[in-house]
Amino acid sequence: MKLKLKTVFVLYFMVSLMGLIYALMQLGQHCDCAEHDLPKDRAISRLQEELYRLQGQIRQLEKAKQPEKKQPPKSSLSTIFVITPTYARLVQKAELTRLSQTFLHVPQLHWILVEDSPRKTPLVSNFLMKSGLTYTHLNVPTAKERKLQEGDPSWLKPRGVEQRNEGLRWLREDRKTEPGDNGQQGVVYFADDDNTYSLQLFEEMRRTQRVSVWPVGLVGGMKFESPVVEGGKVVRFHTGWRPSRPFPMDMAGFAVSLQLVLANPDACFDGEAPMGFLESSLLKGLVTADELEPKADNCTKVLVWHTRTEKPKMKREEALQVQGLGSDPAVEV
Amino acid sequence: MPKRRDVVAIVLIALPWMLLISVWHQSNITSVLTAQKEVYIHVLNIYQNSDTIGGRSDSRALKESSSLQSRDIVHVVRTEYIYSRPPPWSQSLPTLHIITPTYSRPVQKAELTRLANTLLHVSNLHWIVVEDSQRRTTLVSHFLQEKGLNYTHLNILTPMTYKSRGDGRNPRVPRGTLQRNLALRWLRETFPLNYSQPGVVYFADDDNTYSLQLFEEMRSTKKVSVWPVAFVGGLRYESPKINALGKVYGWKTVFDPHRPFGIDMAGFAVNLGLILSKPQAYFKLRGVKGGYQESSLLRELVTLSELEPKASNCTKVLVWHTRTEKPVLVNEGKKGFTDSNVEI
Repeated sequence: MKLKLKTVFVLYFMVSLMGLIYALMQLGQHCDCAEHDLPKDRAISRLQEELYRLQGQIRQLEKAKQPEKKQPPKSSLSTIFVITPTYARLVQKAELTRLSQTFLHVPQLHWILVEDSPRKTPLVSNFLMKSGLTYTHLNVPTAKERKLQEGDPSWLKPRGVEQRNEGLRWLREDRKTEPGDNGQQGVVYFADDDNTYSLQLFEEMRRTQRVSVWPVGLVGGMKFESPVVEGGKVVRFHTGWRPSRPFPMDMAGFAVSLQLVLANPDACFDGEAPMGFLESSLLKGLVTADELEPKADNCTKVLVWHTRTEKPKMKREEALQVQGLGSDPAVEV
Repeated sequence: MPKRRDVVAIVLIALPWMLLISVWHQSNITSVLTAQKEVYIHVLNIYQNSDTIGGRSDSRALKESSSLQSRDIVHVVRTEYIYSRPPPWSQSLPTLHIITPTYSRPVQKAELTRLANTLLHVSNLHWIVVEDSQRRTTLVSHFLQEKGLNYTHLNILTPMTYKSRGDGRNPRVPRGTLQRNLALRWLRETFPLNYSQPGVVYFADDDNTYSLQLFEEMRSTKKVSVWPVAFVGGLRYESPKINALGKVYGWKTVFDPHRPFGIDMAGFAVNLGLILSKPQAYFKLRGVKGGYQESSLLRELVTLSELEPKASNCTKVLVWHTRTEKPVLVNEGKKGFTDSNVEI
């Protein structure tokens, strides 16, 4: 009896030992079990998402805290206030997404996004929260008679006028609560949501004293429009369309210093101005042509492009919707 | 002594099993822990002081404490960060090889600029730009040098015969095919068959819009992963059909839903190892019906059931097939009104 039990034990021991050795060998090998990797990767992408979300939250918290704390300026950079009018259409989220990806590279940038809408839409609100940028979300609807209708060409009525004016109004209100010299330092830029901006542009505009100007690509029916600089001053404008305008420039071609905006509380865009005179309607109350500061290497480099995005073709979507089989409207595009 | 022998026997039996079980558990736990730790370190690196970012004399990045907690891993407190350089390379993340064909036209620099501004946010990214040209243009070369992205600049000219409109003898080759194939060939020539570093290949056209989350979703691609794309096929978005088991069984599209792979170029990503292991898989040049280009590559790589759905089981839109209008240049006239030396 005893002998048998002993051999059983020894056998058992040997088997266990071999099993242990096998397991130890397996330890060094690459594990490609899907059940192990998948949660890890999911965890990683979930964490990344959390990260972006937290970034946005933290920026908001910091912004809220700022009026109470008496902090030394975080950097010597002046803030760039970017006013962007936007309106709901299919490509809105895409445009805002890629615009925010550019802005995320620019330090001390405050994005003032003004919706053409009677109420703040959840799409834009959620988007801004996740963006990670310092922002202000405003909205003001355009009066019906000023709005472009379905078949109108884009140049028929000026767009974004009320929204930009609302941005200016908010800025002036907000700066009143910000005492001290630092609160008055800054640059105001009007950025449409479909244009393309290079990062260098924002650095060029930061040192604006009054109004700075630069070339804009793909506008005015030409490869680029630009002020002509001689002796460090703007002497005329190189444009193919109505060069007799006081300031024949595009909205994306100039920036105004915050001090100038605050010093002229009545200066705003005039929606009644004839086509192409929108920019002039603001600038003529602020500067004269010889006071303009040329940037972008004496206006020889193109750092911003007036790109326009095609309207996506929705023929099939419309056909489906007639049948009641349209794509799920709950999925945000 | 029988008693001692018994005790010894029992110990001899129990010991290896205990060792086995403890070692087994430990191996699982450590691998999960290292993954979390790596994400934490990666997060830390993003906010690192700009010692790694050279040349900017103005704003310095300030990064504060982060602590690792059990549930919500990241608890970051930071005041300001700036980066116009890509995030530092991480040892643990798979590399994303982004293939972008491009060609000269007025909006080219603008498109590349905003695409680069997007890509600068993505870690471990390798941008392969393939020009449709005889020689590498100075515009693109300078642009890529200045941006600071990790890039490879290739070029191949599409012959005029390929570009002509479809007819019996010379059916039109979809734009960018030769360029994408060149990039695939470059990848196969550069990386050996048994390349151990994980990587993912994605075809990104220069006029689309990509959210940053998309790049993180595609990083975990084992073979081919898919997701919805907005503004294609005449719909708000096209997407794969996912069944209850989380597998792709069809395509939610109106335009020819019976294609083997009814998906847009921007709607899928391929694991680098798969590309390397199937060296004969390329986009078909000739005889490809409209909308079948993607299928011509994918059918050589995967079957429908092997596709991995991303973007929350293909319910979120993370990429938009935007198209940029051709700018109106009437005022340039015949001789060109503007200075041709100024690059746009």
